[in-house]
Amino acid sequence: MSVLAQVANGLADVAQDVVELAQEATDATGLTADEAKANAAASGAGMAYGLAAIGPGIGIGYLVGQAVQAMARQPESAGQVQTTMFLGIAFTEALALIGFVVFILLKFV
Amino acid sequence: MFAQVEFPPIENIVEWPEIFFKDTAVAFNKIGLINLIAVLVPVVIFLVAAAKYKSRRVPKGIQTIAESAIGFIENGIIMQTIGPDGLRYLPLLISLFFFILVGNLFEVIPGFHMPANARMANPMILAVMVLVIFIAVGIKHNGPLRYFKSALFPPGVPTALYVLVTPIELLSTFIVRPFSLAVRLFANMLAGHILLVTFSVLCITTFTLSLLVVIFPFAFGMLTALTAFEIMVAFLQAYIFTILTAVYIGGALHPDH
Amino acid sequence: MAVEYSLVLVQGETDQVENLEETENEAVSETVHEEETVNPILPTVPEMVWGGIFFAALLILFWAVLLPPIKRAMRARDDEVRDDREKAEAARVEAETLRREYEATLADARGEATRIIHEARTAADEHRLEVVAAAEQEVAERRREINEEVRAAREVASTDLRSAVFDLAVDAASKVLRQEVDRDRNREAVEHYVSGTGSL
Repeated sequence: MSVLAQVANGLADVAQDVVELAQEATDATGLTADEAKANAAASGAGMAYGLAAIGPGIGIGYLVGQAVQAMARQPESAGQVQTTMFLGIAFTEALALIGFVVFILLKFV
Repeated sequence: MFAQVEFPPIENIVEWPEIFFKDTAVAFNKIGLINLIAVLVPVVIFLVAAAKYKSRRVPKGIQTIAESAIGFIENGIIMQTIGPDGLRYLPLLISLFFFILVGNLFEVIPGFHMPANARMANPMILAVMVLVIFIAVGIKHNGPLRYFKSALFPPGVPTALYVLVTPIELLSTFIVRPFSLAVRLFANMLAGHILLVTFSVLCITTFTLSLLVVIFPFAFGMLTALTAFEIMVAFLQAYIFTILTAVYIGGALHPDH
Repeated sequence: MAVEYSLVLVQGETDQVENLEETENEAVSETVHEEETVNPILPTVPEMVWGGIFFAALLILFWAVLLPPIKRAMRARDDEVRDDREKAEAARVEAETLRREYEATLADARGEATRIIHEARTAADEHRLEVVAAAEQEVAERRREINEEVRAAREVASTDLRSAVFDLAVDAASKVLRQEVDRDRNREAVEHYVSGTGSL
């Protein structure tokens, strides 16, 4: 038996366990399909927003840091840098906000 | 022993009962009222300021507000993004700025506590209008052929790549721009509104004779800090919507750079 | 998915089946409820209508009513300020020119005064030299005159003394000789004697 087949078998076992666990949980809580779907949507919503916030968070931090550096190096061009910085923040932030909209869609619709 | 935190359903915090013209296409609700006030506030400010110029020419009080608003739009937005030939778009940009700003500020005004732009209607209408305006500006100043050519076929790209570039440009200029413009404003205000509602609910729930009262000062402190933060966000979003409009108009006016 | 979950639930006990029916009913009512509620993200038509109307009103008001008077007043004030500044600049330039002229005049006057003082000093010096020369000349003249007078007086005195000595010598000789000595005859000898005995 090759290593790959072993890994596949292991994964299949884990998947089987997960399915059984889920079935047990469903047995215990008595969830309907819609409720299960709502739960999945809620956790998906949280995950969607959390993931969507990572990139823009890093991006905005880097962007503002660079802008501050530029302003410190050339204080006379601070106005121009600030305008561009706000534009950049607006574009970057849009991604996080789309994540937020997805969150609202998954959670409340 | 523990009071339960009950978050209200989302439709209770963003949808409002209709006041006039119920069940028609022009039903008037709280959002309409806020929009009306958002029109009245700048109108009153600028009318009073204009009337005061008859007696005094050095700005004071309300005149300073009007003049600094004009100066901010002219020097802080138009000159930075379009240039001197953009000064004729001052009425558009200043009305955008005030309409959005006052609508946003109602997020923290007691008795309302609802940003008009946390409903998709306002941002969408404004974004579609901005789309129409910047296309119209581009067509008027460059001719339809030259404008769409520079918008869809940017110069300096190898001809073969236009297969890839043109659909992307079409999507980003005429669909993603208004969409992101609207969603940015809407989502910012809705997020702020939900945040404030969350901490208000937490404050109300913990303001009880249970052990949870120890959390109350923290919740209240957060609510206060977030209120200040949301005032800043209200200004920032009005500024960003206005400056992006100016950038789009500038791009349509001078498509070559 | 729904089938799976139903199957799982059917495999359970009978009270769970009842439970299922209840939850299904709840689910049905919830879906009905969800259909009634409006999506919080989608815009509603009335709000769009009012938003559009109010924004259009604000735009038209700003364009036609609100901005023109304020812009006009600001432009008038800016023009006035610019005029005033230009006037002030012109006045400053004029004052500067005047000051230069005045300073030039002042420098001229100062030079003139210096020149005049110099001339006066030169003239006074010359005058002084003249006066001193004249005085010196006079003094020298006076000295010469006085010297001459003195010499004349000395000569007179010498002559007087000589004659007195001669007379005295003649008298003495007469006395010694007990006879009258002829003055004219012995004059030469006496004179030689007087001259020889010593210079007076």
